[in-house]
Amino acid sequence: MAEILQYVHKDAFLHRLHPYTKIAFILVVSLIGITATNLVFLTLVVLALLAVAAYSRLLAESLQQLKLILVMSIIFILITVITMPNGDILGYFIPQGVPVIGGLIPITSGGLEIGLVLTLRFMILIFAFQLFLVSTQPRDLVNAMEKAGLPIDYILMFIIALRFIPTLQIEGVRIHEAQLARGFNPGTGFVGKIRSVAPIAIPLVSNALLRSNVLGLTIDMRGYRTGKKTHVRERVLVSRDYAVLGILAIAGCGFVALVLAQLV
Amino acid sequence: MIELNNVSYTYPRTVQPALHRITLSLEKGRCVMVTGPSGAGKSTLCLAASGILHHEYGGKKEGSVVIDGKNVTDYSSLSNLAQNVGVVFDDPEAQMIFTTVEEEILSALEHRGLSAAVIEERLAGIMKITYLEELRDRSPHNLSGGQKQRVALAATLALGNDILILDEPTSELDEHATKRIADILKELKSQGKTILLIEHKFSQFREMVDTLIVLENGRITSGGLPDIVLKDDHVRGMVLPDFSVVKKNTGPAVRNDPAISVEHLTHRYGDVQALSGISLTIRKGEFIAIAGENGSGKTTLVKHFNRLLAPTSGDVIVNGKNTKQCSIAELACDVGLVFQNPDHMFFADTVREEIAYGVKNLNIENGDAIIDAVLHDAGLTESADLYPRWLSRGERQRLGIACVVAMQPSVIVLDEPTTGLDGYEALLVIDLLKKLQEKGHTIIIITHNRDIAEHCADRLITMENGKIISDTGGM
Repeated sequence: MAEILQYVHKDAFLHRLHPYTKIAFILVVSLIGITATNLVFLTLVVLALLAVAAYSRLLAESLQQLKLILVMSIIFILITVITMPNGDILGYFIPQGVPVIGGLIPITSGGLEIGLVLTLRFMILIFAFQLFLVSTQPRDLVNAMEKAGLPIDYILMFIIALRFIPTLQIEGVRIHEAQLARGFNPGTGFVGKIRSVAPIAIPLVSNALLRSNVLGLTIDMRGYRTGKKTHVRERVLVSRDYAVLGILAIAGCGFVALVLAQLV
Repeated sequence: MIELNNVSYTYPRTVQPALHRITLSLEKGRCVMVTGPSGAGKSTLCLAASGILHHEYGGKKEGSVVIDGKNVTDYSSLSNLAQNVGVVFDDPEAQMIFTTVEEEILSALEHRGLSAAVIEERLAGIMKITYLEELRDRSPHNLSGGQKQRVALAATLALGNDILILDEPTSELDEHATKRIADILKELKSQGKTILLIEHKFSQFREMVDTLIVLENGRITSGGLPDIVLKDDHVRGMVLPDFSVVKKNTGPAVRNDPAISVEHLTHRYGDVQALSGISLTIRKGEFIAIAGENGSGKTTLVKHFNRLLAPTSGDVIVNGKNTKQCSIAELACDVGLVFQNPDHMFFADTVREEIAYGVKNLNIENGDAIIDAVLHDAGLTESADLYPRWLSRGERQRLGIACVVAMQPSVIVLDEPTTGLDGYEALLVIDLLKKLQEKGHTIIIITHNRDIAEHCADRLITMENGKIISDTGGM
């Protein structure tokens, strides 16, 4: 089963970076992704992210997201084409030959472009965050966030939310199978999916609530909330991190220059 | 180390006390095992003895709990109590917070005010004693139940407390994994740890238990040296059930025509060969037990019977129909599958509605009469209007079976139907299955319990690495 947003143990480039460096990486990349509007430039950023993933031996993990991205891009493009007609008309959703309603909903180059820009932006955000999460041990993340002054309860909340994604995924599959064995036919299509919600969601939520009780007690009984802590195997910023931070700074400045020159 | 004096406790919004005048003393270096039927209050006792009950739960509390010479109410918080007591809860999944085994243990060590060097040393020691060295970088959802349980235990050991409280640490484990836990606990006891153990499997822990306590309906009904306590027949039946009293099938129930034929079945999950070349004929009316270690392919095999899994190659024929040509819904009329954890299926407001769900899905006529009969057979008639999740584990297990039986499949498959049950509850389940066999159903159970497999089933199939390695007792 594909595991969504889980740390993958490897010894590669991104794994060796300090969490702070990676947080800076996300910030710079997200900023670029959100501000830029040039299709070619955004495509280059996506390719650059994939190159970083490949160099860090995480390409397979990144490509797992393609299905989600594809679904999203179709939705984006449909919405923008329908709601934001602009520029040249390339064709029509309903062919002009059809009587009465023929020629409705034109497909315009402007609408298409905005849809593509949105898709690329989300691609950049998804790839960047995913690379960060799969390459950073939750422990290091906790330490980094603690140093940044975040309260421990919020940090644990964040870590646990991520950690239990695959658990819920696996449990959901088991519940689904148990209900199928009871002759439950979810049918197909949208209505079928809606009707299948109660027999799956109720056991899933009830079990998760029970589990959260044990989880809470475990956190207390292990003393995670005491505040005192010996830091072992702490990560420090090394020359590799400074090099990456330097590159990020240059890339950021370069981007600002491009924006000011109205090139992206 | 732990003293409970006349402790009574009633949960909020309930009338019946969960614990009633419990007096119990746990001395240093000793091991007390608490056993009893599901719903007797064992987990509540666990919460009481660790001081959690007094700090985290509302409801009516009487009596006092003293840990390390200090009343639990005098400890400022749970974190403070955690300096003295380590608790391993019954759901190992909920006790994994980080994403690798090593991180889990290391994070627990970091909060003890130790120096970095001591932490590294303790980490190595704990990994060794819990046999986790090879699993260092694995993530929790890739671990088996037994491995998860060992990680939860290791993270608790990291606290370095002398008192350990464990709530059913082996309930979902096979014999081999249970023995590992028992070996670890024996070693810890010999190091001087004080252990309070909630367990059903007395025989595996026999050597280390100093005091055996039986809890029923929130009261201690028997307690003392195990050999003396076990002289009582009622306790023996609960702790060391004798499945040889179950009568083997003697009648002409087994017919010659096959209920299920499996032909050269192979199944792969990605790169993993889960089943390789299984051929098997199950006749109508047989009672079959499938045994084998975790990961030997038992569950994968039975999931082919109702097409939850499709063969990678080979065929499965159920009542003359090739499963490749049937939908899961069609096969649900032929094969009923009861999963290990009944909580995965309950979503209705009452026991009756829960059973009615499957009956309605299959449009079975005369549904109400069938539901009444099934409720009666499962011993749940009086609970028909209760919320399913309020039932005890034993009752929930029988409800899980009832839900499937009501759909009247000719073949009923059960994955570990006696998990977490005491001897009497397990016998109730076996009795129910025997009755179903007499009515003409074919029964297939997956079980870790050798006694049940040998004494209750007519035929015993043992699996290993995706193959059948022995098949005995068939006619």
